[in-house]
Amino acid sequence: MDPEPRVLVLTPDFPPAPGGIQLLVHRIVRHADRLRVRVVTVDGPGARRFDATSGLDVRRVGLGAGQPLGVAALNARALGEAVRFRPDAVLSGHIVTAPAAALIATAMRIPVVQYLYAREVGDRPRLAAFAVRRADAAVAISAYTHELAVAGGAQPARVHRILPGVDLPARDTIQRAERPTILTISRLSERYKGHDVMLRALPLIRARVPDVEWVVVGDGPLRAGLERAAVGQGLQGNVRFVGTVPDDERDRWLRRAHVFTMPSRLPAGGLAGEGFGIVYLEAGAHELPVVAGNVGGALDAVVHDQTGVLVDPSDHVALANAIADLLLDPSRARALGAAGARRAREFAWPAVARRVEDLVLGLLAGTRTSVADGA
Amino acid sequence: MCGICGRTLDPDGAAVAAMNRALRHRGPDDEGVYVDRASGLALGARRLSVIDVAGGHQPLSNEQADVWAVLNGEIYNHPSLRHHLRERGHRLATGTDTEVIVHLYEEYGDDLVHALEGMFAFALWDERRRRLLLGRDRFGEKPLFYAERSGALSFASELSALCRGGDVDGDLSAAAVDAFFVFGYVPGPAAILRGARQLPPGHVLTWEPGAKRAEVRGYWSPSSYAPRPAERRPELVAETRRLLEGSIRSRMIADVPLGVLLSGGVDSTLIAALAAQYSTTPIKTFTVGFDVGEVSETAMARATAQALGADHHEVVLTEGDVATRVPALLAGIDQPLADQALPALHAVAELARSEVTVTIGGEGADELFGGYPRYRWLARAARFERHLPPRLGAHGVRALNARAPAGRARRLSYLLDGRPLPERHLDWVTERRRELRPDLYGPRLAAEAGTQRALDDLTARVDGRLAASVSGALMHLDQVHWLPDDVLVKADRAGMLVSLEIRTPYLHRDLAEFAAGVAPDAHLAAGGKALLRAVLADVLPAACGRRPKTAFRVPAARWLRGPLAPTLAHQFAEGALYAEGWIDAGVARGLAAEHAAGRRDWSHVLWPLLALGLWLDRQRGLGGP
Repeated sequence: MDPEPRVLVLTPDFPPAPGGIQLLVHRIVRHADRLRVRVVTVDGPGARRFDATSGLDVRRVGLGAGQPLGVAALNARALGEAVRFRPDAVLSGHIVTAPAAALIATAMRIPVVQYLYAREVGDRPRLAAFAVRRADAAVAISAYTHELAVAGGAQPARVHRILPGVDLPARDTIQRAERPTILTISRLSERYKGHDVMLRALPLIRARVPDVEWVVVGDGPLRAGLERAAVGQGLQGNVRFVGTVPDDERDRWLRRAHVFTMPSRLPAGGLAGEGFGIVYLEAGAHELPVVAGNVGGALDAVVHDQTGVLVDPSDHVALANAIADLLLDPSRARALGAAGARRAREFAWPAVARRVEDLVLGLLAGTRTSVADGA
Repeated sequence: MCGICGRTLDPDGAAVAAMNRALRHRGPDDEGVYVDRASGLALGARRLSVIDVAGGHQPLSNEQADVWAVLNGEIYNHPSLRHHLRERGHRLATGTDTEVIVHLYEEYGDDLVHALEGMFAFALWDERRRRLLLGRDRFGEKPLFYAERSGALSFASELSALCRGGDVDGDLSAAAVDAFFVFGYVPGPAAILRGARQLPPGHVLTWEPGAKRAEVRGYWSPSSYAPRPAERRPELVAETRRLLEGSIRSRMIADVPLGVLLSGGVDSTLIAALAAQYSTTPIKTFTVGFDVGEVSETAMARATAQALGADHHEVVLTEGDVATRVPALLAGIDQPLADQALPALHAVAELARSEVTVTIGGEGADELFGGYPRYRWLARAARFERHLPPRLGAHGVRALNARAPAGRARRLSYLLDGRPLPERHLDWVTERRRELRPDLYGPRLAAEAGTQRALDDLTARVDGRLAASVSGALMHLDQVHWLPDDVLVKADRAGMLVSLEIRTPYLHRDLAEFAAGVAPDAHLAAGGKALLRAVLADVLPAACGRRPKTAFRVPAARWLRGPLAPTLAHQFAEGALYAEGWIDAGVARGLAAEHAAGRRDWSHVLWPLLALGLWLDRQRGLGGP
């Protein structure tokens, strides 16, 4: 037997594609020193260059997850890789890879750990129920996700809450901009992230902080509509849509801004919203106070009145007041930011990866024990 | 709901008192006047108690009594605004939304409008800065007219009241009369009387003693439609429902029975069904029908009401009623309005007022969610034209136009005649009434007969949006033109004439912004209003599968031949519209004769003439027959 147990990680989300889930899976894989990991994921722009320098064992399917048959191809490739890699456990990074994970687990008699975020549980409740039913353990990234999983039929004892982590920045140069700056970082593809409410809040913030600028990092299909709505309210001079930017530029905005906000709400129709919001921790790591919605995963990610302020995310006046108050009270903003930085240190990725490793190793120990018991 | 007024030069409050008297029907329960003796400004308000709010007297001030406000309308989010203001240390003495405006001004200045969700027109006087701020809601649900003369400014909820302020004489604006004939309503910011203007929807006005003129600024406009849907359909449907439910809840009053003006179409059925879910007592539904023509609309409304367990009421507007009510109604409205549905809305509002003080209605749904078939047809026509040699197409269509009989065939021929799309859009609605201008216009309007001003204005409002989406541009156009100046005028005035408040859940700001973020094609699927239909299918499956609502069918042509014929004849003989040389009585009489004989349906021309003529006679102090 290998000194390090082999874990096959199946995920449709992996860098260089941007996003919180992509980041989470990557950091766990990178910091799981006690496991030997192979990642099976999908191809995408820049993937070849990324893999060449990442030092990780990554196998990619030629189709993107968004393409027809992409997910099916990913599951098929996972079976093939399982035969070649002969893993001791499978970590399914998304419920869409649960079918392959279940097949591998049955055929090879190895345990499965299923990762759960939030949105996918609401979007595809039947697949999510299948995934948690077939998994030996599920990881929920927040109390909110834990609730969603249990509501979907998971046994509470099998669902482990492991909050995501954050990359700690080098302790260097916080260079706040001269212009009062509010920052939001997220893809512009889901309405529940609350950019619409923030646009309604901005004129009220401007009334109290005339020179304010809202910097919107990220891109997606909602961008054009947000840009039009900004013009409709005469906000051209107060909003900057910078699109998707490289990590260093993104970090520079985190160092320049004065307040971070992403007022995610629970989406309509029983769909799930923000699972956790790693970006809130990242903002904290850069000593930024956070203003977020008082629902969903943000309740785990932001501590109200300590690292930020939680408000009713559908109330644009509440949002405006919370943000303007912080912009006008730099000492309070600094205090919340400093607390955010302290809290972020507790969430360094190696510590988070260790929790995931412990879970996998515990399952393996259990499996081996039972095998030994049976022999 | 109320009426408000004011004048910047009225040190004894006499002008405002006179304006207030003219607004009595908008607020019979209470009146108030505030005068700043140092600057000479006066504000006035008349109030109708929708719910018995203690301390609802207006004008109303902050604690220091240096910021004063009057409000017409409702701020639906005032409970949460009140909460935020208290959190920020404001002490609010009353439970009214007017007071919220005063304190929001202290917090945000002119930008307070961005905090408001509702239907409103307000005036606010800052005594210390000697500065007047007027604001109007985003869609123009509540009216606000103003006039400036010799450095003074006066304003009022209605034009007839504004005239008492001394800054407007009774002269008609020829351009506005022309626009009225072309459109059937007076498009803002103009008013039918010279010197008067309307504050456009989504705008604020500021006035200071030193400045030469008032400054008018926009703070919101409907955004143009998304080119393609950003989300999947189930998410769009779920979001539509979430926002609409929130809007309806914000427009209901606890423990007060809610009325719904129910037509049988998708819009009103859906809000009735959602309201019924939240109402602790059975909702009350009100429907109007006619004693001639189709009756299916009332039958559908009755079935819906039954399915909802509503307390249902119906009124029939008979030909006998029309003879007595319609002339008084058309004459009594403060600006002429040629919408043929006005008498029916007035009748159903009167019926509702016997049971409730507040109702909700479906106004805005067609414009925001793509309900009118013309959006689809004109988009199709534009697509078709791209494949047709332009000259050939236009010639062929013109030949067809010349021969087409009235009605649907003629309407279809408007689609493809190669004119600018906004004009074709207008022709679809008005059946090319504007082409009769050279024949019909008398000497007072002769200079207007050949002008394009009204059309140029219409085209300018589309503002380059046609390239992105024809249907989206036309929906936008309706939101900034037809909706504020026809649909919402009709709802406000019909309600006010009987002291009934009509609230409009579809015009919630968040819902409207969401609707514009969805691509027109997603709205126009399934015969239009696809998202509303999908929500209705979830809420009240029994109501689906019925025929799509096309238009509220008013038997106007028949009325003009029957109960209204004597009024029309009296107009031609003695009406000021003809006597003063605005319209040629001979030509108008000829059309009326053709119409009476059943040779051709001229109701789209005769109705506006009747509306304008009756209004002008009242303006001139002449009685009708």
